[in-house]
Amino acid sequence: MVLVADDLWKTYGDRSVVQGVSFSLAAGEVLGFLGANGAGKTTTVGMLYGAVVPSRGRVTVEGFNVQTQGRRARQIMGVVTQEDNLDPDFSVFDNLRYFASFYGITGRAAQQRASELLAQVGLEDYPKHRVDQLSGGLKRRLVLARALINQPRLVFLDEPTTGLDPDARQDFWRLVTELKQAGCGVLLTTHYMDEAQRLCDRLLLLQNGQVINSGTPLDLIHRTIGEEVIEVDGFQEDQLQPLLTQFQTWGRPVGVHYLIAVPPQGGDELWEYLSHRHPIGLSRRRANLEDVFLRLTGHTLDEN
Amino acid sequence: MKTDLAPPAQQEQRQALITPWGVYAAWRRNARVYQATWLVNSLPPLSEPLIYLVAFGYGLTPLVGEVSYNGQTIDYLKFLAPGMMAIGVLFQSYTEGAYASYLRLDYQKTWHAILTTPLTFSEVFTGELLWAATKGTIAALATGILAVIWGLMSLGNVLLSIPLILLGSITFGAVGLLTAGLVRTIDQVNVPLFLFIVPMFTLCGTYFPRDTLPSPLFEVASALPLAALADLLRWPLGLPDYWPWALLWLLGWAIACTGFAWRTIYPRLFR
Repeated sequence: MVLVADDLWKTYGDRSVVQGVSFSLAAGEVLGFLGANGAGKTTTVGMLYGAVVPSRGRVTVEGFNVQTQGRRARQIMGVVTQEDNLDPDFSVFDNLRYFASFYGITGRAAQQRASELLAQVGLEDYPKHRVDQLSGGLKRRLVLARALINQPRLVFLDEPTTGLDPDARQDFWRLVTELKQAGCGVLLTTHYMDEAQRLCDRLLLLQNGQVINSGTPLDLIHRTIGEEVIEVDGFQEDQLQPLLTQFQTWGRPVGVHYLIAVPPQGGDELWEYLSHRHPIGLSRRRANLEDVFLRLTGHTLDEN
Repeated sequence: MKTDLAPPAQQEQRQALITPWGVYAAWRRNARVYQATWLVNSLPPLSEPLIYLVAFGYGLTPLVGEVSYNGQTIDYLKFLAPGMMAIGVLFQSYTEGAYASYLRLDYQKTWHAILTTPLTFSEVFTGELLWAATKGTIAALATGILAVIWGLMSLGNVLLSIPLILLGSITFGAVGLLTAGLVRTIDQVNVPLFLFIVPMFTLCGTYFPRDTLPSPLFEVASALPLAALADLLRWPLGLPDYWPWALLWLLGWAIACTGFAWRTIYPRLFR
């Protein structure tokens, strides 16, 4: 395992923001932390790379304790933090070149590595640009390139695509997939369900600093919701509750409509029943992680 | 390749908290930025003392002529030159530590970025402190060279003053870093600037001998670190009897401010 987190706790005063988080990450695996704002994702990731001191527990990266052997551990990892902390005093190229020096990569080797990475992330046309001349998407690419300067075997991506347009997000996803293919362990935090479903081999769902469920995206969906959901509009909750009991399934209001998990047995009957009552709106679709999140936490990510 | 077996925990050898390479790498980052704009950057350390020396030299010398210092009468400009060196140390080290380090800490998040690399907090902190000290040293040496050209000091005396300049630069760099660690907005940096730095700059015997000050202002001014540095930098004009205490006092300020700065900045980076 490239990363092992064992019983991580973080307490501020009498408030525990992370409570007993344990997991491991293998080489070539993309592990996603999914949770609403304030669920403890960033604090947990901070503990993983050493920016947050755990109140209890331990993190090891290829066997090196992040707290007591941080220098060795950080030699192996690359970090894309939530905020852009690129160096505005340097050009795009020099951001990489001088960051390399912190890993002991200097001179021609640093220049060569910086050039390789600019090409890898598609910034080869911008070496002399100042950081503040780059768009949000290009900045995120540069932050990723910087995190790869030491050829890490473990990369932390803390909400890497927040604020990016769909094209820039697609580009970023391609880069993450390349990292995975190269055998790099990737830990990704996100509150974008499509991103988590698309990129992650395994997910940990966090709520109030605790892992409330985990598994592959499909496993989580099938285990928690099933294959499909029905969205129905125009029913009162007290009309639907007996229906849920009758069909032994789960449902809850979401905004103006009601979401019902299609049960493995009797799904078509349920659909027929609802259709015959001519609701204002009725649709049936494949279940997704958003539904999982809603069922497990009681609210949508957007509600946070 | 996927590994299913966890590697054995690496033997937990104590890692060095600080290495010369780590400190140099952190210091070098700032030096590279300075080097890229050296022409603009070299303006303040050169122009400030030149302006002060010219203004006070031509403006005050006809009025003051000579001053009585340490039991002897000397030309005002010869008295002023080491004081100007001390002021160069004070302002350049302090502003680098307070303003520039604060920007790198709070706005640019440069410290945060570097701390994701193998460098430790102690190395980044020490690199920043030494960089602030470097700026002060450059300013003092630039002033010293002007004083040599003006015929106010000998080159040998300026070079022999370097250890004192370094000590003073570390002290005021640490005061600057302490400020950076304490303040929460860039405007708040002005509070210690106007309550501590400017009074020190005017009262500590840089422009005039402190013994003209009334008690207890004299005692207060003498207790400030710039007074010790100015007294010590005037060694070619004769050292006061208490100079070993002045040296220890300056060293004490350097150690205390460095310690407090370390303790205020660390919690801002590691929650």
